[in-house]
Amino acid sequence: MRNKITRNSTVAFVLLTLTFVLYPLLVDTEESYLVYFFFMCFIYVAMAQGWNLVAGYAGQASFGQHAFFGLGAYVTAITWKAGWTGFLDPVAMILSGAGAALLAMIVGVALLAKLRGDYFALGTLGLGEILRVVFTQGGKLTGGPVGLLLPSSSYESLGPYYFIALAIALSAFLFVWLLMRSRIGLALVAIREDEQAAACNGIHVLKFKILAFATGAFFSGLCGSIYGYFLFHIHPLGFFSLNWALLPVLMTVLGGIGTLYGPILGAFVLTGVFELANIYIPEIHPIFSGLFVILVMLYLPQGIMSLGGKDVAKRILPFISGISKQSERR
Amino acid sequence: MKKRIGFKKVVLLGFVLVLALSVGLAGAVHAKTEKKADKKEILIGTNLPLTGILSMVGIEQRWAYETAVEDINKAGGVMVKEYGKKLPVKLIVADDESDPGKAAAAVERLIKVNKVDMLLGGFAAPFGVIPGCITAEKYKKYYHTSICLIPPWLEHKFQWSTLFFFDLEQACSVPYEIWAKLPADQKIQKPALIMEDTFDGRAFAGIFRKLAEKYGYKFVLDEPWAVGAKDYSAQIIKAKSLGVDAILIFGADADCITFVRQMKENDFSVKYMHGWKGTWAGEFWQALGKDAQYILCDGFWSMDFPFPGAKELGERYFNKFKKYSVSVGALYALCQILWQGIEKAGTLDSAKVRQAVLDNEFQTMMGKVKYDKSGVATFVSTGSQWMDGKQMTVYPFELTTYKMKLAPPWKER
Repeated sequence: MRNKITRNSTVAFVLLTLTFVLYPLLVDTEESYLVYFFFMCFIYVAMAQGWNLVAGYAGQASFGQHAFFGLGAYVTAITWKAGWTGFLDPVAMILSGAGAALLAMIVGVALLAKLRGDYFALGTLGLGEILRVVFTQGGKLTGGPVGLLLPSSSYESLGPYYFIALAIALSAFLFVWLLMRSRIGLALVAIREDEQAAACNGIHVLKFKILAFATGAFFSGLCGSIYGYFLFHIHPLGFFSLNWALLPVLMTVLGGIGTLYGPILGAFVLTGVFELANIYIPEIHPIFSGLFVILVMLYLPQGIMSLGGKDVAKRILPFISGISKQSERR
Repeated sequence: MKKRIGFKKVVLLGFVLVLALSVGLAGAVHAKTEKKADKKEILIGTNLPLTGILSMVGIEQRWAYETAVEDINKAGGVMVKEYGKKLPVKLIVADDESDPGKAAAAVERLIKVNKVDMLLGGFAAPFGVIPGCITAEKYKKYYHTSICLIPPWLEHKFQWSTLFFFDLEQACSVPYEIWAKLPADQKIQKPALIMEDTFDGRAFAGIFRKLAEKYGYKFVLDEPWAVGAKDYSAQIIKAKSLGVDAILIFGADADCITFVRQMKENDFSVKYMHGWKGTWAGEFWQALGKDAQYILCDGFWSMDFPFPGAKELGERYFNKFKKYSVSVGALYALCQILWQGIEKAGTLDSAKVRQAVLDNEFQTMMGKVKYDKSGVATFVSTGSQWMDGKQMTVYPFELTTYKMKLAPPWKER
């Protein structure tokens, strides 16, 4: 039975991936808005999956993803401007991810050893704000408040961006999937459930927490790199924007925190809702998007992943019957 | 035990989700696509900060664009030779949320979903204009813009945009030109330079310093100031102790309002105060009332300009918002250039319209406009003084009869 599920799952996964791989080959990438939409979804999937590893599996809620995202973009821009790397250069992207991971390790030693829960979350939030000021005051190296302008004439097609972002999202998914099937995954879950009990059982708590934190940062750095290549203007306000910390959190919680597929669903649903609201009701889109998030949190506090056949009825029917009863009273 | 959904269901749910989004987004795209023969209107897109930190300043820009569209449609539309008829203009506004990434996304949407024929520019170089130009460049759509400093725009060597804005050096020379006209006993002795620590603020500061040397001035106080700080009393007290008699200030309107209020609280007045970005909007006067009197502001335009339609446009704006504007004329002129460019090109092809804009001279509410080969046309940045709720044009001298007044101490106002 288990083998059958695994086989079906693998087939379905391959089919879904193939769909995404084939899609841009069947349409004009420069005309199709969906190609751009999926590109953004893939970035959010990787960011959300990284945060999910730190918060969902290791139990360390971080609000500092924007620090790693921005750092990744700046590493890409600085190395490109210096002539050490080029356009859409894998070396620059790896360096961006590695730079973010290194920062996470350095900061993680201090933050993760001393702070827990809300205090750790606030500490990481401060990290992003500190980096924003540092890069704003960074002089010629970072371009100061002006940021770094990259040669936009390098752009040829959205296709390469799409495939790179897809590869990053797939890597994040597969990495977390493999990790959670290893002894490291077990250790992370043990830490999440009870740190002291995990330590008593011989788990080096700090080491595993830093590992998760640095892995999440690595994927954020990669995302910052590809997005930097896409925008061609690395700017402290845009790349260290709190949105890059909050949206992955929102997506993961919306999809289902601590689940492998939750961040994927959350990223697609939330990006889709935001986009559709922007297209159809541009004047009031934040109201609609906010309302959607509130409703999901009210009726699906465990995220979309908690939806099962029976659960749907359990959760949705009282809501609908409540509305109809109110209508009858009127 | 907590029930978890299986992989198969997740994948199925994923497919359904992707399909639904595809249908939704593709439906949106399909609905907006028109065949060439059925072309009924010219679709012009623009990314404006409807939400976010710049939402207040985008109001004048939106009104100017909408008014220009309304006026051209009343005149029957824009003649497009390719279609053999006048076509009305439809303006589609997308919210860029005052964020560079969102600005790029908004322009992507305008081009790919709304299928706009060309675009009018957003607000401010780093937030809306540069990301908009880059995105338009990717998809080879004409992005006809203003409100962006020229040097960072030129750095990109854009081939699908044009820029209509003031030259930074000219804008920064305005206070020195005004000071040069002051009588000998009223000359500025101890000016201070207080510039916002941002993209634009630093650019302005560099030019102000360079020109100060040229005009023979030395700033006794030269400090950047933080955006959104609530207390500027340290800088104010320092300026007071140094005997500063003139302030050149660049900052957001909220910050400038706070600064002036705290100057009054500290009983510190200067005979000449000139602001950029934060002192020209009607909100500045509304917030400060008579305390804004005598303060100078920058601007793009004046309803007192002797160009056709300038006075009427200024009055229409006043009738709508009960305040005056020193920007709407320039943005209205931007639209006038585009309509004429389309007519000259005789087509809605982005490359041809841009070329027509580069090749021709245009009569607008800002006077005659001619672009250079790099795609830039400049206009003169104005200097105006707040007097009883109106920005009275002080500079350019040849376009005004108003004489600037030096500010008395607070107690005598």
